[in-house]
Amino acid sequence: MCLRVFITDFLPTPKKPLSHLRSKTMSAETLVLGIHRVNDLKTGTLIGTDKYGNKYYEDKRNFFGRHRWVIYTTEMNGKNTFWEVDGSMVPPEWHRWLHSMTDDPPTTHPPVARKFIWENHKFNLSGTPGQYVPYSTTRKKIQEWIPPTTASK
Amino acid sequence: MAVAGRGAVSAAVKPIFSRDLGEAKRRVRELYRAWYREVPNTVHLYQLDITVKQGRNKVREMFLKNANVTDPRVIDMLVIKGKMDLQETIHVWKQRTHIMRYFHETETPRPKDFLSKFYAGHDP
Amino acid sequence: MLRLPAVRRTLAGVTQSSKVCGRTTATAASNQIEVFVDGHPVLVNPGTTVLQACEKAGIQIPRFCYHDRLSVAGNCRMCLVEIEKAPKPVAACAMPVMKGWNILTNSEKSRKAREGVMEFLLANHPLDCPICDQGGECDLQDQSMMFGSDRSRFREGKRAVEDKNIGPLVKTIMTRCIQCTRCIRFASEVAGVDDLGTTGRGNDMQVGTYVEKMFMSELSGNIIDICPVGALTSKPYAFTARPWETRKVESIDVLDAVGSNIVVSTRTGEVMRILPRLHEDINEEWISDKTRFAYDGLKRQRLTQPMIKNEKGLFVYASWEDVLTRVAGVLQAVKGKEVAAIVGGLVDAEALIALKDLLNRVNCDTLCTEEVFPTAGAGTDLRSNYLLNTKIAGVEEADVLLLVGTNPRFEAPLFNARIRKSWLHNDLQVALVGSPVNLTYTYDHLGESPQILQDIASGKHAFSKVLDQAKKPMVVVGSTALQRSDGAAIHAAVSTIAQNARTKSGVGSDWKVMNILHRVASQVAALDLGFKPGVEAIRKNPPKVLYLLGADSGCITRQDLPKDCFIIYQGHHGDVGAPMADVILPGAAYTEKAATYVNTEGRAQQTRVAVTPPGMAREDWRIIRAVSELAGMTLPYENLDEVRKRLEEVSPNLVRYDDVEEANYFSQANELSKLVKQQLLADPLVPPQLTIKDFYMTDSISRASQTMAKCVKAVVEGAHAVEEPASC
Repeated sequence: MCLRVFITDFLPTPKKPLSHLRSKTMSAETLVLGIHRVNDLKTGTLIGTDKYGNKYYEDKRNFFGRHRWVIYTTEMNGKNTFWEVDGSMVPPEWHRWLHSMTDDPPTTHPPVARKFIWENHKFNLSGTPGQYVPYSTTRKKIQEWIPPTTASK
Repeated sequence: MAVAGRGAVSAAVKPIFSRDLGEAKRRVRELYRAWYREVPNTVHLYQLDITVKQGRNKVREMFLKNANVTDPRVIDMLVIKGKMDLQETIHVWKQRTHIMRYFHETETPRPKDFLSKFYAGHDP
Repeated sequence: MLRLPAVRRTLAGVTQSSKVCGRTTATAASNQIEVFVDGHPVLVNPGTTVLQACEKAGIQIPRFCYHDRLSVAGNCRMCLVEIEKAPKPVAACAMPVMKGWNILTNSEKSRKAREGVMEFLLANHPLDCPICDQGGECDLQDQSMMFGSDRSRFREGKRAVEDKNIGPLVKTIMTRCIQCTRCIRFASEVAGVDDLGTTGRGNDMQVGTYVEKMFMSELSGNIIDICPVGALTSKPYAFTARPWETRKVESIDVLDAVGSNIVVSTRTGEVMRILPRLHEDINEEWISDKTRFAYDGLKRQRLTQPMIKNEKGLFVYASWEDVLTRVAGVLQAVKGKEVAAIVGGLVDAEALIALKDLLNRVNCDTLCTEEVFPTAGAGTDLRSNYLLNTKIAGVEEADVLLLVGTNPRFEAPLFNARIRKSWLHNDLQVALVGSPVNLTYTYDHLGESPQILQDIASGKHAFSKVLDQAKKPMVVVGSTALQRSDGAAIHAAVSTIAQNARTKSGVGSDWKVMNILHRVASQVAALDLGFKPGVEAIRKNPPKVLYLLGADSGCITRQDLPKDCFIIYQGHHGDVGAPMADVILPGAAYTEKAATYVNTEGRAQQTRVAVTPPGMAREDWRIIRAVSELAGMTLPYENLDEVRKRLEEVSPNLVRYDDVEEANYFSQANELSKLVKQQLLADPLVPPQLTIKDFYMTDSISRASQTMAKCVKAVVEGAHAVEEPASC
């Protein structure tokens, strides 16, 4: 696949000096890995990091829809997410900001505490063995024998 | 009708195209050549994941499958069917999957021995 | 009084006896009279009814109340036909033909009479065919289409009748009843339970049980079949399927040793109901309630996946590969006496031969059946020793019958129905040694102690005279009587009685006297194949590996075996055998396999596949064959035909379907039985099934059935205990 690197990002512009690229958030290592992981190299301001390590960036110079993005964390909920990233890794409070439902990131405007908000954000389980399967509403044709649950022998 | 054409009367059986075996063989060769020439075109047209050589080997195999047929009428019938098949291929009335069916790639063979039949299901 | 004295019966008319007792020989051809059916001449015996004469000419006369196997009632009037030169139409079912009559079955007058009768019948019949379970197999529906009027003149109101609760098996919608009284006649004549009757007259006539009570008969389901309308329908089958939706498979029942012929109706891979199939020599057209209604047991408590017991002693599901390799490995490691097998009562001959061949290959000969049978004397070596030699239909010829330690009413309900038929029509004299039970007919109770057998055998007892004078005596001993510790002595005594009766009555050698009545379907086939009856050998010599093939009666428990004994259970229900096993192999039930069963007469019959085995279950012989291949001792058959060829090698009668192979050597068996040095005990002979409560749940299928559980509850607590909310 083609590797899209916005050359303009690396060129000094009046608005944005080259030193911006060499900021402490962007080491050479992250640069290489970043290109590998997301096939893209973007620069922007780090708006915040959630408790799982997902980093949220913004660059208003891009057109609307491309101006906010996330660099996923490498390990979340005990799962190695370096290569296997998933959209549902974004917790809801950041989801709002990321999808431009609001302009206020949760760093400055933390969400109102509700008891139904999850302590720990969970992935979407669709397509995994843990996915929700609707229970059958039809009668079983054959009812199998349930072996005794107490140990014998 | 067919029963009547037995023994000495068999010469009176109406031929389809070929009057004798030699003529029938000629028709087969013609069809084979046509197929042979068409294979590279087909591989390109249908974007098949096979080489031209593999395609030609398959054509050869399909022809050799009927190598034991000696009745000119039967040979003629087979040639007619082969021509129809060729026409469908040339005009792309077929799709990739229909061509690749000759190669039996996606078919799982039916279990043959007792144990694999037993594991496979109730009455394979 | 149903049972007429002998003299009166002969006077009362050839009408009944010639018809009902199908086995009485036809009178000489010279006596036959000629009648005409629509102008075609027919020769019939004197006393034949008009309806039968027409049947002989190939013309069916519509009828509701008339039934071949019941007495003639003549009250539905549907069979009215015109006789030429007769002033009025006559009821064909009740009128004997006279010489030279011309019966007009399709004349204007006959058709008009039928149409009129049909109009009257429909006047009080509800128009609820769309919600009626009889729809599609209803005599009234069919005949109103054929013979009824095409329009209605009916302007009045219809009569309504209160439904009766007569138990958990038969549903009554009495408004639909047309008072044909077939059910009443069936109950009093065939079932021998005078529970049903009519009250009121004219428009107010009702069929019922007089007082609110259960119709307590082991043959009660048959009134569903004989009811020509939807007044009596099956409760478990209610609103589940229509007859035209179901596939019918002709099969064999295995829940008792009679081997009734049945039709299994299935839909969407599920057994919907079981109906009887005509077999004159076994079940006529009746079946017992267990046969008919225990099918819901086939859908519960099933073993659908192979299981292995893990280190914690819990069952875990496994694949066929895993369990078969495990079993094969275990079998490879043992030799001879270290391995044993027990087969249960529902196992087919194919599985039996496969298991025997497999275990014989590891030098093992400890193959036992759960049912005990005495092996002393001739034991099971002579086939006549363990068969119902006279055959079920043979009872109709007998004139004296001695029952020993059995209750045929619940051990073999259809055999009992035959005895009752013979008692009713042929003046069969019945005597019983054993617990006094209600057999639905009268009998001389000779006592309960087996000592009486000794007296009869030695000629000291008064009954031995009766036996000696009998023309065709019969002795039937229940298999449970032979399972006591003095079983061999009882067998020897019975054998002597039979032999004495046979020689003294002077009956020919083709009449057999000695009969054994088995209770389970697999026993005869197992004995034919050389299995050892009883598990004594295993108890004496506990094996390291035990193969249970459908063994669910619990005659061997974990306590009888060494701690490290490896138990393999193969069967279709998680009942008694499965929980104690280390490995469970799910097999197929009798509706799910094509298999051979031999009934108590020694008649081989085959079941057919009605539905596929559930889940990962497989046919039993295939499982054993697969084990043998993995264990490196491949059995030489791969399909059913090859197994049957092997069966034929061992015992050819097992594949001669529907053929009873005659067994003989009675005198030799008797001589050998004299070698038995065993004393008769004084304990009374008590059959295990005394009342109808014990009848319903006897094997793993009927124990899993909810319908059968309901029956037991209804019998104990009354029909109201299992009453369900009316859904219609």
